[in-house]
Amino acid sequence: MTALVQTLVNGLLYGGILSIAAVGFSLIFGVMSVINLTHGIFVIGGAYGALVAWSVLGIDPLLSIPPLMLVAFALGWACQRLVIQPAVERGNPVAALLVTFGFALIAVNLLTVTFSSSVRSISPSYSFINLRLGDISIDLVRLVAFGCGLALIAILGSFLRFSRWGRVIRATALSELGARLCGVDARAVYAMTFAVASAFAAASGVLIGMMLPFTPADEVTWTVYAFIVVTLGGVGSLGGAMLGGLLLGLVSTLTQTYLGAVYTNMVMFLILLFTLLVRPNGILGSAFKASR
Amino acid sequence: MARRITILLLAVLLIAALTTLPFFLKAFHIRVGLSIFLSAGFAVCWWLLAGFTAYYSFGHTAFVGIGAFAAALALRAVPEAAPALQLAWSLGAGLVVAGGIAAIIAWPILRLRGHYFTIAMLAVALVLGEAVAAFPVFGGSTGLALPNLAPMGVRVEAFFYWIALALLAIVMAVAWVISRSRLGYGLAAIREDEDAAQMLGVPTTRFKVVAFVLSGGLIGLIGAVYALNLGYITSDSVFRGSLSLEMIVNSLVGGMGSILGPVIGAAVMTGVTKLVLADLLEYHLAITGVLIVAVVLVAPDGLVGLWRRRRAQSAGR
Repeated sequence: MTALVQTLVNGLLYGGILSIAAVGFSLIFGVMSVINLTHGIFVIGGAYGALVAWSVLGIDPLLSIPPLMLVAFALGWACQRLVIQPAVERGNPVAALLVTFGFALIAVNLLTVTFSSSVRSISPSYSFINLRLGDISIDLVRLVAFGCGLALIAILGSFLRFSRWGRVIRATALSELGARLCGVDARAVYAMTFAVASAFAAASGVLIGMMLPFTPADEVTWTVYAFIVVTLGGVGSLGGAMLGGLLLGLVSTLTQTYLGAVYTNMVMFLILLFTLLVRPNGILGSAFKASR
Repeated sequence: MARRITILLLAVLLIAALTTLPFFLKAFHIRVGLSIFLSAGFAVCWWLLAGFTAYYSFGHTAFVGIGAFAAALALRAVPEAAPALQLAWSLGAGLVVAGGIAAIIAWPILRLRGHYFTIAMLAVALVLGEAVAAFPVFGGSTGLALPNLAPMGVRVEAFFYWIALALLAIVMAVAWVISRSRLGYGLAAIREDEDAAQMLGVPTTRFKVVAFVLSGGLIGLIGAVYALNLGYITSDSVFRGSLSLEMIVNSLVGGMGSILGPVIGAAVMTGVTKLVLADLLEYHLAITGVLIVAVVLVAPDGLVGLWRRRRAQSAGR
């Protein structure tokens, strides 16, 4: 019984991280209908940014989140404006997909050359501390990361819900034509969406870097996980990303504990396939254009 | 008519030239030719589905892997047979098993469209790759070894060069026949507007399934040769995501508009990777990335499209 509860707790904590790591991907897919293969680059880039801040400048990873988000915001804006928007305007969905893929190849190569392909990790002073709650032990770093992840999702949610830019982004997602008729500059909205999504991807990368060891090649994993989370939960909605992430976290830890670690990925991919076949809109499929 | 005969003659001459080439080349260059033929074959098979119907699969490496493992396991069943028989048997196993699995997954998968089909195929490839790595029948993480089937006195790389060339010619012929058939026109109609095609009486589901099974089965056939040439396969080496991506990138670089596109794309990309970038290994990925981005932005219809546009311009003058 304790083992089961322990597994569920670990699964939820891991799921929270999967959720925050997927919201950026979900936003871009929902608003622009682009499968953004650079997503994992921004996640892993965030982890490396935090590594530099922590090991060179001695800044706590959590404090490095806001400046890294600003950097990722700028990079995302530039990347969208210079490379991805021209491909989107070709009108061929695969063109955009390929461009993001090419961009990811360049970025992962540069990361590998800069940081080498060896495994890195960030361990601030408070890592390896376990809180005990009865028989359940909780890793402090994971708890902190989970809390930060929830806070970030809440911030993104209120940005989309209440701010002017948020309203414009949601309007463009519903109907680009309609939004443009109302005077919205759709290209600026797309750049903004991409920049915001990149900032949140980088922030999630910092949290991931605190919890798990990472290499440049891990970017693929995080893109694929974002894919699964978003498909499972539903494209373009934060609630969907939350639900998908938590479910996937639970499934992955349960599989690991009761079936064995080799089956974790297989079960996750089977769930992706099953969701696609049974309910391609995801559990909370929204009215965003990509899911229609 | 005269034009068609010229083209046919040129094709025969080209194949003859390519066939005699190994007698004059060094082993390294024969291997470059071999990898060009294999990746061109994969790209043409991928294009069989994507070029005709615009169903972009991101997981066609699944069929490479199925073909490779089917061949390896089939060879285990007949360890004593003559090499020629073993070769035919393993290639047949690759074709039939990959085509069979394609037929099983075709109906549910092809109900999905657009991005969703793309993602679902990616998931299929990932599931199969993980399953093959997890179950001991497939050698687990250590993989399976395949015997060397090249006859005595023939260089291994030249032997597989010829087989790969023959298979490339076969898949190109299949694609060409389809493009001239009722099936080809039906598939093109599906690409332009699937709902309209269905309303006009095109049996869309049946046509899509046929294209999917042909595409998967032929990739399985080439996948068997790929495995025999490697001599040793693991889940990682044949269920590689980069194999799926190479098919897509090669087709797009060459151009999706004609059957020559995937072949030219494969020749250019593989040639560039093996010959030019061999000295720049550290920046290999970045340069490939720059190439992809440049092609999509500058030559959206690929090299063939670029050439046609140039020719149309000069003809208009």
